[in-house]
Amino acid sequence: MQFIPLLLGMTLLSFLIIHLAPGDYFTQLKMNPQISPETIAAMEKNFGLDKPVMVQYFYWLKNILTLNLGESFAYHVPNAFLIRQRLLNTISLSVFSITLTWLVAIPLGIYAAQKNGRWQETLLSSLAYVGISLPSFFLAMLLVFFAARTLVLPVGGTTSIFWKQASLWQKFIDYLHHLLLPGLALTLAGTGSLYRLMKNNFLEALGSPYILTAHAKGLPRFVVLYKHALRNAINPMITIFGYELSSILSGAALVEIITNWPGMGRLILDAVLSQDLYLVMASLLIGGFLLVAGNLIADILLVIADPRIRLK
Amino acid sequence: MLNVKNLKVSFYHQGKIPVNILSEVEFDIQSGESLALVGESGCGKTLTALSIVKLLPRHARIDRGEINLLGDNLVNLAEKDMLNIRGKKIGMIFQEPSSYLNPVYSIGNQIAEAIRAPLTKKEKKEKVFQALTEVGLKPMHYWQFPHQLSGGMQQRSLIAMALINQPALLIADEPTTSLDVTTAIQIMTLIQTLQEKHRLALLLITHDIALACHFGDRLAVMYAGQIVEIGPAKKIFSSPLHPYTENLIGCLPEKYQPKQTISAIPGSVPDFRRLPSGCSYHPRCRYRLPVCTCSQPPVFRRDDIKVRCFRYGKTLGTEKS
Amino acid sequence: MINFWNRLKRANRPACVSLVLLLLLYLAALLADFIAPYPYDSQFREYSLCPPTRIHFFDRDGRFHWRPFVYRIAIVNPALKEYQEDFSTRYEIMFFPSGGRRLFGVAPEGKIFLFGTDLHGRDVFSRVLHGARISLSIGLIGVSISFFLGLLIGGISGYIGGRLDTVLMRLVEIIMTFPGFYLLLALRAAFKPNISSLQLYLLIVVIMSLIGWASLARVIRGMVLSLKEEEFVMASRALGLSSFRIITRHILPNTFSYTITALTLSIPGYILGESTLSLLGLGIQEPYPSWGNMLSICVGNLRILTGAPWMLIPGGCIFLTVICFNFLGDGLRDVLDPKNW
Repeated sequence: MQFIPLLLGMTLLSFLIIHLAPGDYFTQLKMNPQISPETIAAMEKNFGLDKPVMVQYFYWLKNILTLNLGESFAYHVPNAFLIRQRLLNTISLSVFSITLTWLVAIPLGIYAAQKNGRWQETLLSSLAYVGISLPSFFLAMLLVFFAARTLVLPVGGTTSIFWKQASLWQKFIDYLHHLLLPGLALTLAGTGSLYRLMKNNFLEALGSPYILTAHAKGLPRFVVLYKHALRNAINPMITIFGYELSSILSGAALVEIITNWPGMGRLILDAVLSQDLYLVMASLLIGGFLLVAGNLIADILLVIADPRIRLK
Repeated sequence: MLNVKNLKVSFYHQGKIPVNILSEVEFDIQSGESLALVGESGCGKTLTALSIVKLLPRHARIDRGEINLLGDNLVNLAEKDMLNIRGKKIGMIFQEPSSYLNPVYSIGNQIAEAIRAPLTKKEKKEKVFQALTEVGLKPMHYWQFPHQLSGGMQQRSLIAMALINQPALLIADEPTTSLDVTTAIQIMTLIQTLQEKHRLALLLITHDIALACHFGDRLAVMYAGQIVEIGPAKKIFSSPLHPYTENLIGCLPEKYQPKQTISAIPGSVPDFRRLPSGCSYHPRCRYRLPVCTCSQPPVFRRDDIKVRCFRYGKTLGTEKS
Repeated sequence: MINFWNRLKRANRPACVSLVLLLLLYLAALLADFIAPYPYDSQFREYSLCPPTRIHFFDRDGRFHWRPFVYRIAIVNPALKEYQEDFSTRYEIMFFPSGGRRLFGVAPEGKIFLFGTDLHGRDVFSRVLHGARISLSIGLIGVSISFFLGLLIGGISGYIGGRLDTVLMRLVEIIMTFPGFYLLLALRAAFKPNISSLQLYLLIVVIMSLIGWASLARVIRGMVLSLKEEEFVMASRALGLSSFRIITRHILPNTFSYTITALTLSIPGYILGESTLSLLGLGIQEPYPSWGNMLSICVGNLRILTGAPWMLIPGGCIFLTVICFNFLGDGLRDVLDPKNW
C-alpha cells in the first residue's frame, strides 16, 4: 500500500531532526555522569554511535522494526516500556474527548441549522466562536482553577489513593473520574469548530435539490431531516476528522501537561526537558504513527459511509 | 380534476417591500389530459408548481386563491394533511435528475420509501421491481446508486418514484431540459405512455414551446407571473393570439428557411420588482396600443382560447370573462 | 483601496472592531516602555503576589477627587502573602511623571500594580505590555517567513510538476503527518537548552516557520495546478517569459485572495506556538517576559493558580488577540471571496 514510503519517511525525519542538531551531543553523552558506561556501550552496539550518520539511520530503522526504541537516559528503562504506559492514557483521553465532542456538537449543529438566523443560533455560534479562539491550555488552566476551588473533580494523575485495594470495577470508575477534567478541557476546546462545521454542512444539505424530492414524496419532516439531510451532512465531516486529528493529538498533549494526565504529551515534554534524545525521537515517531492510524480509520469510515467512494 | 383559481403568490423578504410574483393565475386540468405550461426562465412556472404542493421557499406565501384537487381546496389544508396529498395524490419530477436523487441511498431504497401502502418489506420490494420495469429499467437497478446511472435512467427512477402510489396528477417541472435530445424524446414518450395507461392528469412545465405543443393537449403561456394565453395546443401553435406567444413561436428555427435571420424578441424579461405599468408585455410588444401602457388587460375569450390582450377586447364573438 | 475598506466596514462589523483593537494592541506593544509604569524586570520582593491595586475616585469620606488615586498597600502577612489597603495614605496618579518618560505613575513610596504582581514582585501590567512585544511580533515574522516559503515552494512545485513536485509533496506529507505539538517540541530538543535569548527568539521563529510552510505549500500547489491550464499562462509562455517570471508575476498573484485570508487566520497559530513553548519553559526565558512564560508559573502549581488568579491575565490577552485575528480573517474572507463581488 502506498503509505509504506510515508512511514519510512517519518522514521527518516524523526531520525534526522535529532542527528542534524548542531553540536556534538554524543560526546556530551559520554561526558554526562548520569549515563552509565554500560548504557553507552549498549547504545554503541545497538545504534552504531561511532559509525557515519547514514549507517546509524539503518541501525535505527532496524531497531524500530524490532520494537527497540532505545533506553531512556533519565529513567534507565527501555523507551518502549515508557511509551506503552503513556500511549494507553493518551488514546483513552483522545477517544473520550472525540466521542464527547461529536455527541455534543452534532446535535447542536443540527439544531442551530434549523434555527438559523434566530437568537438560538446566534447565541450558540457566538459561544462556539469563543470556544474556537480560546487557547486549549488556557481553557485547561481555567478548568483546573475551578476544579481546585470547588473540589469537584480530581486534578492530576489517573488513580486515587485507594487504588491498591479497589476492585476492577472501582478501578475503572476511578480512572474515568480522573479522566473527566482533562477530557472536559479537550472536549470544550474542540466542540466549537465541529459545531460550526456541522451547522454549515447541514444547512448546505438542507438546500440540496434531493430534499425537495423527499418533501414532494410526502415524507414527514423528521424523516427528511434525519434520513436524507443528516447522512449527507455527516460525510464531509468524516474527511475533516482525518485532518483534525493532528490538532486533536496536539491539543491532547498540551492538556495532559496542564492537567497532569500521564500521557504521551507529558512524556515528550519530560524527554525534551531532560535532553533524553532517543526518547524524544521515539515519542515523535509514535505520535506520528498514532496520527497515521487515526487517518486510516477515518478513511475506512468514509468508504463505509459514502457509496460514491466505495464504488469508484 | 385540478382547478387553480385566482392564485396570487408573493415574496416577503425581511425588511423589504413584498414582491408580487404570481397574480390571477387560473387554469384547470382534467384526468387523462396534459397541460403544458410554457414561459421563459424566471416567469414563475416553477413557483406555480411548488404552490400546488405547497412546498414554497421560506419567504414565499400564497396571498389568495384556490387550488382545488378532487374537490379539496389545498390552500386551506394544514401541513400534516398535505403529507397525504404529496406523493399520494400528486407526484412530482424535476429538472436535473442527478441533483434530485440522494447520492447516499440506492434508488431502490428511495423508491421504496415513497410507497404509502402498508406493505411488508418484501411486498414493497416487489412493488419497486414492478415500477422499475414499468419505466424501462431492470430489477438489478434496485441496488444501484444514482451516480452509477445515466441521466435518462435517473429520470426514469424519479418517474417511478413519483408514480408508485398511482397519483391523480403528475407535475413535471422541466423534466427533459438537462437531457440530450434522444433521451429527452424517450422520457417524454414514456411519460405520455404512462399518462394514458393510468389516466393521469399531467402538468408539464417547460420553456421549450415546441416540446409543449407536441406533448401537450392544452397549452398555457406564462409571462411575468401571469397566464397570458391558454387553450388547445395545436390551435395556439398554428395561430397564436397573444403577441408574446406569437414571438415565442416565431423564435423557433423550424419556421425559417436556411440563412433567414431569426427574429428574437427585443428587450428582456422584466424584473418583478419593477414591472411595467399596465400590460407587463407592452415594452416588447409591436401591437402596443395606448391603453396597454396604463391598464392591465383582463382575460378575453376567443372560441376556446382565453387570452390577456386588449387586441381581443372589442371584436365580434368575444366576451370578457 | 478605499473601496476595499468601505466594503469591509459594511460587510462585517466585528472584523472592523477587531482590526482597530489589534492596531491598538500593537501600538501598545511598541510603546511599552512609555505606557508601563515600571520596567519589566524591576522586582519589589516585599510585594510578591500582590493583588491588583484598586483605583478610586471617591475616598472613604465620600469625597470626590478629580485625580484618581490608590491607597498604600499594607503588608499584613508576608509569609501568607496577605495584603490590605491602608486607607490612611493616598497616592494620586500622576500623568507624565519624571519629565514625560512614562505615561502615568505614582510617587515612589506608593505602588500601582494594575494587574497585580508575580512571585518575584514584578508588576504584571508592565510585563504584559513588554511581553506583548514578543508574542505579537513572533506571529507576524513567523507567518511572513512561512508564507514566503510556502508560496515559493508551492508555486514552483505546482508549475514545474514531475519528479520535483512528487518529492516536494512527499516531504510536505511527511511533515504534516506529525502532530504539531510533537514536532514543535522535537525540533526544539534538537538544539541546546541554554542559548542566548536573541538566538532563542530566532530559533522559535525558524522552528514554527519550518512547520508552517507545509500546509500552505500544498494548497498553493493545488491552485497553481489549475491556474497553469488557464489561457493567460499559455499566452505568457508564447510571449517567451521565463518560468520563474510566470510563476511570480502571473500565477501567484491570483492566489492572493486565498493567501491573505489564510495568512490572517494562521497568525493565531504562531502566537499560540510561541506561548506553548514559553509556557513549558522551552521558549523565551526569564527575565524576559512573554505572555506564554508568564503563564508557566500556573502550570502544575495549584496554590498559585487558586490564590493569585490575576496571573491568568496574560492568557486572557492571548485569547483577545486570537479572537481578533479570527474575526478579522473571517471578515477578510467574506470581502475577498470573488463570489461576493
